[in-house]
Amino acid sequence: MFNKHCLVFLGIILANVISLPTAKAEVAIVVNSANSSVLSDSDLARLFLGKLKSFPDGDKAEPINQKFGNDIRKEFEQKVLGKSASQVKAYWSKQVFSGKGQPPHEEASDKDILNKVANDKTAIGYVDSTSVDGSVKVVKKF
Amino acid sequence: MKGTSRVFTLSSCLLLSSSLINNAYADINFNGFASIVAGQTISSSDSLYGYDNNIDFKNDSLFALQASSDLENGLGVTAQIIARGSNDWDPKFEWAYVSYDANVHLRFLVGRQRAPFYMYSDFLDVSYAYPWITPPKGVYDLLFDSFDGLGVIYTHQLGEFDTTSHFIYGKNNTEVTALGETIKPDFKDLVGLSFSANREWLTLRAAYFQADMSMPFQFLQPLSEAWLQAGFNDISNDVVMKNDKGTFVELGLQIDYNNYIVNAEYTKLTLDHMPFGDNKSYYVMVGKRVDNLVFHITYGKDDDSKVDYTQSVPFGIAPSLDFLKATTQGVLASQKADEKYVTVGVRWDFHDSAALKFEYTDFSDSLNTNNDASLARVALVTVF
Repeated sequence: MFNKHCLVFLGIILANVISLPTAKAEVAIVVNSANSSVLSDSDLARLFLGKLKSFPDGDKAEPINQKFGNDIRKEFEQKVLGKSASQVKAYWSKQVFSGKGQPPHEEASDKDILNKVANDKTAIGYVDSTSVDGSVKVVKKF
Repeated sequence: MKGTSRVFTLSSCLLLSSSLINNAYADINFNGFASIVAGQTISSSDSLYGYDNNIDFKNDSLFALQASSDLENGLGVTAQIIARGSNDWDPKFEWAYVSYDANVHLRFLVGRQRAPFYMYSDFLDVSYAYPWITPPKGVYDLLFDSFDGLGVIYTHQLGEFDTTSHFIYGKNNTEVTALGETIKPDFKDLVGLSFSANREWLTLRAAYFQADMSMPFQFLQPLSEAWLQAGFNDISNDVVMKNDKGTFVELGLQIDYNNYIVNAEYTKLTLDHMPFGDNKSYYVMVGKRVDNLVFHITYGKDDDSKVDYTQSVPFGIAPSLDFLKATTQGVLASQKADEKYVTVGVRWDFHDSAALKFEYTDFSDSLNTNNDASLARVALVTVF
């Protein structure tokens, strides 16, 4: 009886562990074409975690996020922030409920993000690299 | 009833003002979190952390709502209301403050806020933010968590470390029930500083606080008066808690490396000239993240001791004095504790905004094995 339960439990764990990786998209970090900032990987992570609030030249930075649950966002969080979606959610719940900050503003699509970045010098966002057009500047790809 | 209607009026004011302000200022953020916790001890005679052998759904369950608004030019307001099952779901303001960001590094908070005693103080009730159902109760056991006053938060990059210094000054006189009495304590001149440094996978933390403490327990009054009449002013003062200075030290460590997690915290509470135990506590948690599961194990120890301040009075001078000394020694002895606990648990992030947690705690009391107990708890926690 005990063994049977153990097996079921182990089965559930294994089913969760062996989730096959899905095809990876390439993430492009985009800024306004007038923005000449050079950003390190750590700067990027700190910007999107609200730890850094300005570009290296001192200008205010306004990070723009993809919608929660979106694949490109999961990709970005994994590669740039080094965290899973639920870890990022847990991180922001700490910030929000201690009054330390609100997570970055979200836009619904790559198109909306490109549009926002093209028109706002302070904006920084990320999109699927296949969506990038000439209206913005790509600073890094992951 | 009065409390409920007051909260209702306040929340309708909040809603009304939010709809008015919305036109002029863009941002009013509403956020919330909740924990639904069920638990019971394994054996019929055991009780632990408020649980007994009958399944309980209220003890650690809570609902919270937070409204915050950015008033521009660095000014913001935040209010957080928590309704706890342990308090019959009576909603209370845990946070209600105005913040001012002088610049990107410096923030001032005035009003009701959380004292940064511990590593998890800032989000103590947000179970979604940490692996356990609740942080280890052996360490997280001060009588109050919030205060009214001033907070100053300074964030600064120091080499590769992001550092946060948090200074507070204020007071707390919220009614508490302790040792069978409901009293209004006075913790004033609460002052202290916490410092934490974070770099990628490592966080280090240290804190010091002190307060001028008064807790007017009725049952200690006769003892104090008897010592005074016997001519022992010092002992008379030491058997009550009146304008006595308490100090608190905390050290914390967090490691989150390659899906291995280590959390550890040490606290030391010193209550000189009071009839309450000095406390030393620590816990060490080790965890492993596997996909959307976190497995963890925590070992904790809690030591309370009290120096016998009647030592200078020898037995045998007078029967009445012997009686006083023995009674006082009895009170002081009751303050001693030597407790250990092991908690094993799993957190399962089954949903984008919610997690299920299972925990089993084995508790043992070296001074009184009757207090040994095992507790099983399951929790559904969420943020919204």
